[in-house]
Amino acid sequence: MPVSPLRRLGLALAVVSCAGLARAERWPGAAWPVAEVAPSPAIAALQAYAFPARDEASRSGVRSDALLVIRDGQVVYERYAGPTRADTPHLTWSVSKSLLAAILGVAYGEGRFQLEAPVARYYPAFAAHPQVKVGHLLNWASGLAWQEDYEYAPLKSSVVAMLYTRGRADMAGFAAAHAADAAPGTRFRYSSGDSNVLAAALQGMVGAAAYPDYPWTALFEPLGIRSAVWETDAAGTFVGSSYSYMTARDLARIGLLMQRDGRWGERQLLPRAWVAFNRTPFANYRGQAAQPGEAVPGGHWWLNAELPGAPRPWADAPADTFAALGHWGQALYVLPGAKLVVVRYADDRDGSYRHNQLLKLVLAAFAEQLQP
Amino acid sequence: MIRRRPFRTLLALVAVLLAALAWQNRAHLQAFPRIIGAYTAKEYCSCRYVMGHPAAYCAAYVEQYLPLSGFFDDPLKRRVTARGLGSSQTAQWLGPRQGCRLLAQAVPLPES
Repeated sequence: MPVSPLRRLGLALAVVSCAGLARAERWPGAAWPVAEVAPSPAIAALQAYAFPARDEASRSGVRSDALLVIRDGQVVYERYAGPTRADTPHLTWSVSKSLLAAILGVAYGEGRFQLEAPVARYYPAFAAHPQVKVGHLLNWASGLAWQEDYEYAPLKSSVVAMLYTRGRADMAGFAAAHAADAAPGTRFRYSSGDSNVLAAALQGMVGAAAYPDYPWTALFEPLGIRSAVWETDAAGTFVGSSYSYMTARDLARIGLLMQRDGRWGERQLLPRAWVAFNRTPFANYRGQAAQPGEAVPGGHWWLNAELPGAPRPWADAPADTFAALGHWGQALYVLPGAKLVVVRYADDRDGSYRHNQLLKLVLAAFAEQLQP
Repeated sequence: MIRRRPFRTLLALVAVLLAALAWQNRAHLQAFPRIIGAYTAKEYCSCRYVMGHPAAYCAAYVEQYLPLSGFFDDPLKRRVTARGLGSSQTAQWLGPRQGCRLLAQAVPLPES
């Protein structure tokens, strides 16, 4: 069969562009490639904001433990403070939730579950809530009467009870025992309980034998992550809400995976549709004007999305910015358009740190000038 | 009666309300004293044996407004016990991937 010249040209172009892509695209091997970047006033300004003198007595102000900037697959900035070093597996707190979502993404690509399926299909202890679907949990929209506040309402905080007292033996079971006070899928309410029910459902999806190693076999090992620790409760369920640890450089690998739409080298580790779901605002989310700077919930990731009638949460960062965010200033920011991944570990004990300010300074220091 | 003893009636009313509130929140109140020991033991254990930070740093890292009445870190067993509000709690390091977890039963603090 003769091949039309036009088609031949198309094929040739495709091959050439793929080869070009493979040449231009950098990926970390055992270590990250490092690009030398000359000092500049913009980098000095970033450093001044992220690493002011630490006051260990008052623990006030911005207290970064680590700041790592990856541009197009290469380290362009890296600094540590306090006792944290390049090889410290730092607690990520609620960044864990988005890491759990990435692990679920691998299971999703393997056809282990559907977003529209009831959670109880994979986690029978959730039988009291037959209408709650996996997708609802990923949007933090289970409708359960969960109380997330901790430091200011420790008596009634569901999270404190789950992590430290009444719920600690079986955190997902503790969350499942909460009554519903809204229809599933109708109301956003940030809930560490929803995340731990997902962590328990993962066991039903992949099987009890594969479960204890699944985060490693599914995600960490393919990405070359060697520092990860993920604590479990007494029931053996990963504390998906809070207790994963890894080095800043390893967390940046997950950032690069997300920046490149779930692809790691040649392999589409997370389906593109999964990443698209992660990055889609929860449909029934109502932005609160009273809380400017609050990112928009997606599928277990946080989005700098512009919703109708509201400015985007981080005005100085592009609208395609999304992030995994945790207690005390932990953050993994992904800026796909700018080809930037930013890891920040911290010990912020007051609310003075601003995502927008850090991103603004990172962009000023490291965003590549667009060629005209 | 109310007109004759207005303060006593008010006090009784407040007491009844408080009792009702306590009863309504009994599960929360019962668990509350365990928080400080459990938080300290767990987060110190992870700070020390997962993140690998120095002991002095971890002691400051877990410090809260409520004081501890006892604390013991057993580096050989990688086991941390903390006592506050009359409740002792123990966290144990389990392995390089598993990190630390609170034990169901606290290990008694050593006699000092």
